[in-house]
Amino acid sequence: MKHQFAHIIIMLFVALSAKSQTTVSGVVTDGREPLAGANVFIVGTIDGCLTDSLGRFSFETTITGEATLRVTYMGFDDYNLTLSPSHPLTFSPSHPLTICLHERATAIDEVVVTASTYSFGKSDNFKTMNALDVVMSGNSCGDIVASLQSLPGTQKVGEDGKLYVRGGESEECQTFVNGMHVLVPYSTNTENTAVRGRFSPFLFKGINFSLGGYSGEYGQALSAVLPMETTDMATSDKFGVSASLVDWNVGGTKVFTNSALSFNAALTSMGLYDRLFTQRQDFTHPYRKLSGEAQYKKEYHGRGVLKSYVGYDFTSVGLHQDERHLSLKEHNIYANLTYKTPVGRGYTLFAGIANSSVFNHIDDAVSVGDHYCNFRNEVHLKVELRKVCNSVLKVQAGIEDYIRNSTLRFAPYRYNLDYNLLATHIDAQWRMVPKLFLNVSARMEMMDRHCQLMPRATLSYIPNKRWQFSLVAGQYSQTAEDDILAQSNKSLCQSTASHIILSMQYKSASSLLRIEPYYKKYSHLPLLHNGIYQSDGYGYSKGVDVYVENHSISSRLSTTLAYSFNDSERLYMDYTQPCTPGFASRHNLRLTAKYALGKFIIGIADSYATGRHYANGTTPYYNSLDANITYLLSPKVIIYSSLNNILGRTNIFRYDAAGNGITSSRDRFFYIGIFVSLKNNKAYDISNF
Amino acid sequence: MTSQIFKQFAAIVVFVFAGVININAQQANADDMLQLVAKLQRLEAMQPDCVGPKYQLALQSLNYAVMNPYAPQTENVIAQAEEAINKMEKMKGADQSDLCTLRGFLFMVRIVQNPAQNGQRYYMDVLQNYEKALRLNPNNALAQQLQQKFLEGMKQHTN
Repeated sequence: MKHQFAHIIIMLFVALSAKSQTTVSGVVTDGREPLAGANVFIVGTIDGCLTDSLGRFSFETTITGEATLRVTYMGFDDYNLTLSPSHPLTFSPSHPLTICLHERATAIDEVVVTASTYSFGKSDNFKTMNALDVVMSGNSCGDIVASLQSLPGTQKVGEDGKLYVRGGESEECQTFVNGMHVLVPYSTNTENTAVRGRFSPFLFKGINFSLGGYSGEYGQALSAVLPMETTDMATSDKFGVSASLVDWNVGGTKVFTNSALSFNAALTSMGLYDRLFTQRQDFTHPYRKLSGEAQYKKEYHGRGVLKSYVGYDFTSVGLHQDERHLSLKEHNIYANLTYKTPVGRGYTLFAGIANSSVFNHIDDAVSVGDHYCNFRNEVHLKVELRKVCNSVLKVQAGIEDYIRNSTLRFAPYRYNLDYNLLATHIDAQWRMVPKLFLNVSARMEMMDRHCQLMPRATLSYIPNKRWQFSLVAGQYSQTAEDDILAQSNKSLCQSTASHIILSMQYKSASSLLRIEPYYKKYSHLPLLHNGIYQSDGYGYSKGVDVYVENHSISSRLSTTLAYSFNDSERLYMDYTQPCTPGFASRHNLRLTAKYALGKFIIGIADSYATGRHYANGTTPYYNSLDANITYLLSPKVIIYSSLNNILGRTNIFRYDAAGNGITSSRDRFFYIGIFVSLKNNKAYDISNF
Repeated sequence: MTSQIFKQFAAIVVFVFAGVININAQQANADDMLQLVAKLQRLEAMQPDCVGPKYQLALQSLNYAVMNPYAPQTENVIAQAEEAINKMEKMKGADQSDLCTLRGFLFMVRIVQNPAQNGQRYYMDVLQNYEKALRLNPNNALAQQLQQKFLEGMKQHTN
């Protein structure tokens, strides 16, 4: 009897146990292919499993009655199947579930529209490139402007080295640091000598180079903008020095509890280099630049962030040319202060102020005995409010003011120019339907009671993480240069440009392809009529940019190809008929490769551009093969060397009025530098500062 | 406060899984680690408003990725870790020192995946995040261990 009772009890337990253990099985797909590694589980329990390589799952659960089956997989919407008592869990291996997951629609604050923009650094998490990659390809020697010229859409204008974008003048590209405008982002040099950018790319954690079609936040740029964001607060003290044939640097950072103070000082001098290597120009006083920079950053307990920057350059150079003893001196000071803080209810407030002052003094500028004195000053004020309303809408609105002053004394010519430019903008980024995004913005600028409204829009279709298609259209404006504005007694209206850009991008783990045809139409460009400037100029620029980046050949090798075709014509300045501007070349090609080999990193680049057209001829094609090598000598010492134009080709950039070819002062340029960390346990940090 | 929650939660997690899976990442095989990550994800779904499960999920996901840098599931697991870290950043109770440790670990995983390409690109981010983590909490043992391991790795690579 006891045995019988025991058997009954055991049977009951087995029966109950068998009833409470329900097997859940099935297959998970994305509608086409099975998904391996999807997490299938009953919500509120840890009952579940991962799908196998064929998307199959099978697990047991003790849950009966009301329950929710959830399937999660990165990049896909969660799948939930709720089961009520009337629809209890009745799964069995003979009735497997077939679950189809749908790709997750990107939220508005996650989407990054890449049309017409090249982003470096880590402002957008993990990028395939960063500033270091660009700088170490070819031989930019740490110059941010030269680095950016490896991208499609930029053109090689060797006689001044500035950024010329998609058939536009260098003045049409404007630079912003932490959202604040920089009046003169270049260092200075004598005529027909390439200048460098004022800022090191390593100052910035994010560089977003937009070649057109930018949002309403940016103005006073007809062709392109270069917004850069300085690095976050340092975490430890730093101190380092570097030396090369042409420059000597010392920089460091002192970290406090919630703030950091950095400094950097640099002396650039071509004196030693000029003695070692021959050159074409007769410098009476070698190029020298003394720079000092300081930054102070403060974090307010994860709330607001205060960033300040001040930089001063003094440049001097003397040149003997055509009986003249040209002597150039420039003082350039730039300072900005920004504060960004969340202000509740999802709003973020940004406020900033920046001041640029540039003083130029040139003796024997045009003829023996003349004196050229120019002072330019700009104060930029900006306030902006940003809000991510929900997963489909993001808005920002702001107001800014540019207060500009320029004085010139160049006997017998002189002027004093003052003007104010008030601007406001509103931007809205809206996910219309999953995968389709619309960015609409409007910018209004007011100068001397002349009002200008500029609508801009970008429609993007982002079907998945690999593909992105965008159509961009917008209107942009810019005041004429100070000299022209003063000559016209401020009667010139702003020049305008309309952009239409089509962008297609494919991005995989190891490669990137981008193709962008564009069309720009210029209106109201300054045009000289009988010695007086009027806003009657016009023009167009059209073309296509292609960019390919590849890392798939070897994990140690990265290669890039940048090709630009440009066809542009304009009637402006002193032109008598529409023609291709002298700075524009029809075809530009740049190939780069970078290879990491143990402690060495080797970079090689080739730049090619077809000839440029001038009234007195067309220049030969431009070609330069460049190489660089970086060697980690010890954990605290890095050696960097580069050679520009290995083949020694004499590139003619343009012709002067007499028909003489303008070339650089030397065909090849050799650079070698050593970077030493004097503090900390790491290799020299180029961003010591 | 958050650290206390972390510690309690970590203790529970260890207790629950100690008998099931060998938590020692050095010895656990890839499948076991992946199953652990999946279970942590289920636990995270049980307590969506708690920081602790997210921390453990991110940590074990990165553990898996650093041990299996080229496995087919690794990119998804890293994305999952990144998502968990991003969610933690938005939570008021998240410990900033732990967040910095996870961010440093995330960059470290990227370097392990491709030292030639990512070493020079991210080494400073790794060091700065660990330094900040230790500045905020000098007793953060995980940050200390990871920093030490990373410095040893760098020393081997550069000497």
